[in-house]
This record gives sequence, C-alpha cells and structure tokens, in this order.
Amino acid sequence: METMETAYPALNELFVFLNTTITQISIYYSRIPGSAILLKYIKNSHQDDPFRTALELLLVFFAIIYLFTNKYRTDNNFIELTPQEVEELVDEWQPDPLVPQLSDDDKRELEKIPVINGPQGLKVKLINGKSLINFSSFDFLGLLTNVTIKEKAIETLKKYGVGSCGPPGFYGTFDVHTEFEKKVSEFLGTEDTIIYSQGFSTISSAIPSFCKRGDILVIDEGCNFAIQKGVQISRSVIKWFKHNDMEDLERILQKIKNEDIETGRKLTRRFIISEGIFENYGDIALLPKLVELKKLYKYRLILDESLSFGIMGKRGAGLTDYFDINPTDVDMIVGSMCNALCSSGGFCSGSFEITEHQRISGLAYCYSASLPAMLTVSASESLNILKRNPQFPLTINQNTILFKQILKNVKYLLLNCSKDSPVIHLRINEEIVRVGDIQDKERCLQDIVDEAINNGILLTRAKYVRSQELFGVEPSIRICISAGFTKKEIEKAASVIKNAVTKVLKNKTH
Amino acid sequence: MSRNRSRSFITTEKPTSYNDTLDQSALPNLNSNWVYDKGAWLVHIVLILCIKILFGSIPGVPSEASWTFTNLTYMLGSFLLFHWVKGVPFDFNSGAYDGLTLWEQIDNGAQFTPAKKYLTAVPIGLTHYTHYDGITFLVNFILLIVVVIAKLPQLHKVRLFGINRLEAE
Repeated sequence: METMETAYPALNELFVFLNTTITQISIYYSRIPGSAILLKYIKNSHQDDPFRTALELLLVFFAIIYLFTNKYRTDNNFIELTPQEVEELVDEWQPDPLVPQLSDDDKRELEKIPVINGPQGLKVKLINGKSLINFSSFDFLGLLTNVTIKEKAIETLKKYGVGSCGPPGFYGTFDVHTEFEKKVSEFLGTEDTIIYSQGFSTISSAIPSFCKRGDILVIDEGCNFAIQKGVQISRSVIKWFKHNDMEDLERILQKIKNEDIETGRKLTRRFIISEGIFENYGDIALLPKLVELKKLYKYRLILDESLSFGIMGKRGAGLTDYFDINPTDVDMIVGSMCNALCSSGGFCSGSFEITEHQRISGLAYCYSASLPAMLTVSASESLNILKRNPQFPLTINQNTILFKQILKNVKYLLLNCSKDSPVIHLRINEEIVRVGDIQDKERCLQDIVDEAINNGILLTRAKYVRSQELFGVEPSIRICISAGFTKKEIEKAASVIKNAVTKVLKNKTH
Repeated sequence: MSRNRSRSFITTEKPTSYNDTLDQSALPNLNSNWVYDKGAWLVHIVLILCIKILFGSIPGVPSEASWTFTNLTYMLGSFLLFHWVKGVPFDFNSGAYDGLTLWEQIDNGAQFTPAKKYLTAVPIGLTHYTHYDGITFLVNFILLIVVVIAKLPQLHKVRLFGINRLEAE
C-alpha cells in the first residue's frame, strides 16, 4: 500500500494513516485473550450467508430494545403517587367516627326493643313485669322450655363440658355428632348428613363449596340473606327468577339452554336454589314444579329448609314430606337446628358424595369449632320429641288456619302467603291505607307492634340490613304460629292484632 | 362443538372485574411466582442442554438437526406452558385466574419485568444455534416469531382466532 502513488499527496498521507491505525488495532485486538476465538465464532456464525447475519442482527436489535424498555403495569386503574401526594392525602384524611351518630329512626328502633326477664319461650315476662304471649319466636314446636331437653342438656354438659374446642376435622367430632347426623338422615330419608355449628353459615358455606367461577346458579329473588351471601361468595354466574314464579324460572332455564347451543360453551355445574318456607315472604316453594324443571333441564336443586324443617308435612320432615316427594330428588336439603329444634347449628343432607365433599371444602365446617355436644344432644332430643308426637305438624297447621281465618277479613292488611305456612308476614294494604316511604311503613307497623304488646301479645317487625339486601323487601310484621299455642291463645292473639291494626290504620285510609 | 360465535379473529378479554381483583390479591399466585425462585432461570438453560444431549445421543442425527429438534421442543413446550394453558392447577384464588394464561399471570400482568425479559431473550438466543437451510430455517424462524409475538405486551389478554377465549356468560 505504501507504494501506491496518487496525484494527491494529501490523500496519500490519509491512506497511510488509516492503514497504520487498522494494523495497530488488529495488533492490539489480537493481544486481548480469547479474541481469536471470538473472531472465529463470528466468522462461523456468519456461515457465508448475509441473509442469516441480517436476521440475527435484527433479532439482537429487537432483544436490546425489549431488554431496555421500562417496566409498566397493565391494571389501568393503578395510580402511582409521589411521596408528597401521599403526604397530602394522609393530611387531608378525616376518620369517620367509630360509632356513627344515631338517626331518629335508629333511636326509636333502640327504644322499642323489648327486654325479656327470664327464659325465652312462648310465654315471656318483660322487664317491667308484663306477661306476654310470644308470637315472634321461631319456636314452632314449643320446645324452648321443655324440661326433658333441659335435663338431657345438663347431663351432656357434665359428661362432655361446654365447648368442643376444635373444628370437626381436628378432634371436634364427638359420638353425639355422628349419631345426630345419622338420625337426621333417617328422619329425612336421605343418604347422609353433615352438621355445621351455625345455622346461618350452613347454606352460605354449602353453596360455595360446590359452586365456583363459571358455574350457573338460578335463584329465587325472595331468598333469604344467608343464601344471598352464599351465592355472592361462590363467584358463579347468577340468574335470578321472580319470587315463586315457575314460568319465569322456566323462561330463564330455556334462555340458558339456548345460549349453550348458540355459544357451544362447556357444560359447568348448574344449580337451582330456593327456600322451603321463605323467611322474607312466608310462602312455600312450589317443590313439585322445581323438581320437574330441574330434571327436565338437568340442574341440581338446593333447598333451604331452615324454617320448614320440623314443621311441614305429616311427620314434620319438611317440604319433601309435605309434597310427598322422594327426598333424593332434592340434591341438597339444608336445614337449621336453630328454629323448630330449639338448639343451634345447621345441617346439609343429601347423597354421600355431597356431604363428604363438604367435610373438606365447606368453609364453615372446616374453620369453625364444631357444635357443642350439649346443643347437639338438645337438637337430637327435640327431634325425638317430634318423632314421638306426630300430631305437632298437624296442630301447627290447625293453628295457622285458625289464625288466618280471623285475620282474613282485615282490609288494612295483605296476607298473601301460602295457606299452610306458619310463618306469616303482615303487610300494609296500600290500596286502602295511605302510607309513605319504607320508613313511614315501618313506623306504622311499629305502632301496631306496640299496641299488641300493650294487650299481651309480643310481636316483631321483620328486620333487615336494607343496605345489604339485594332486592327490596316490603316492611312487615312477622308472626310465627307454634304448636305450643292453645286454640284460645291463637284466637286472643288474632283478635288483639286485628284491633291493634284497626286502631292504628283506620285514620290513615284514603 | 362450534367454538364460539365471534366473527372477528382478534378479540380482547374484558378488563379484570372488582371481584376478580379481590380474589387475585387474596393469596399470592403460586402458579406464576416461581419465575423469581432460585434457579428458575438457570433451569431453562439446563433443560435446553438436557434436550440437546438427548437428541444428540440418537445415532444418525447430525448436530444441526439435533439443535433444530431442541429448539422445536423448547419453543413448543414453552408456548404450551406460557401461552396456551389457562388458569391455576390449584384452587387458591377461587378461580380468579381462570381466564389468564401463565404469561398473563406473571407479575400480575405487568410488562417488561425482569422475568419476562429473560424468558423472551432465551428463545432468541437459542435460535442462534440452528443451521439455516430451506426447511430448518422455515421451521425455526416461524416458531420463534410465534413465541416472541405471543410475549409482546400488545397481545396481553388478546385472543387470536377465538382460541382460548373465555367462554361467554
């Protein structure tokens, strides 16, 4: 190269400079350890294929861009705050009072709570010494003050102690539990039963143990609060049908079926959920139609018999007994020992698979101490008494019919519940009576309750946490008819209520 | 079974609902958190080497072909694992991740995180070891493109051809 001659001496000098630099660099490069290997490697990779090298460079280029891009979040409602902004927000924050100010309605509500002196029962004594007949308790069989149950309970207390001190899966299961489970299964005619320690959490735990995301639940709008919470926790797809409206139920089932065909979606678990006697309405689920529809559309049926167990049917075995339906047609019968059995806890009855599954996945079963032996034995004894006295359900029915007979003609009230249900909701007939909003209705009903208490009958309004209820429930007075009442007491109560209603509402007609 | 009624071939999943966010944050996602465990990054290299040794030990398979097979196995395997299978095999979050692939679950959907950068770099680096001629080039490069595109942030919660779509409610 040095011999290269050009017409321009300046260029010549430049070439010489470049040449020496390159030579120098290659000399320095070869001094770096491993440099020969790298050079060989790049030559090898090139494989005499410029296309390949171009692609590889492209990939390297992409990788470098990707590696050096900053991290960002995709949940778009996340706002990154500066420490200063955080400080400002903390300074601005005013804590809500721990106990909110009572409204006038709250104060009235608290004032009106009757305080009972002595044991709970069908006849109670108030703290002011007044004796009342209790029409507000779920003691349908009149067993609250039963002496035999009390003796049995004391006996058990002495043998087993007070609490069970452990969940059923961890040393919390006693012989009395399994015996009671067997007894309930025999009584209902189901394969197996599982008992929970709280009545409320039985259904709200049994539902989510089977129903998960993607499953479809078809539920009656009139269902009680525990069911509403249960289906909310289950995270399933929820379809509501109008309260006790079987045509609406069928319409929804058909709609789901059509959607299945249209979208070709996978078959998931499907349930129809209803209540035996509706706590919020006091009417009876139309079980024969429910069973028919569930078989036709291939659903499973969950029936909450918390109120109807021990009351309905010839033996008192609930709605399956009342409608003479094979109990195995209802996949899950959920009941409560808090009401007719005068104890505590709840149960879920069905096939062996249904109960066994809940023993490891029913949250309230796994994570709650088991039912104290004393309460289990009390419930068991109540069931024995019910079995020995088959006239109980019949007496309840007769009392109910008698009671409704007397109140039938009170034009200020609506009594639109099933004729055999001993849970009666008295609602104001707005066609006759002029009332305002829900608060106004509650006030009117409370006046009726107060008037009845003055005349020796203890009543209660049906109370709800209205902000949490999914569907608005009309205010009402909830009356429970027990087998423990005599014909005379029923007649007295009905006429007292009739007079109280007339007295309070007669000035408010249109 | 007709898959769904969607007519467009690109569909985007709905944003996460309040209930889903609640359930997702209830417990750590054990299905995706392992990408930050000790050795979780090294195991990719070890696995690739194992696959290479396996294919290399088959008599009559030249080195280039065994690299292509290794590449193919790793790409297909990781595609199935990261971009095809949805949800969590254990019931920890009551099904809150049912609609998301493992890639979408990693770092709770955040993009350009260390794990995602590493897992993108591995297949790109691996392609380097393949011999480019006719068929092998086509197979390797298409696979690489599929795997890399699936990892792009632009495809977060996007479903192509209705594959893997969350079923209509």
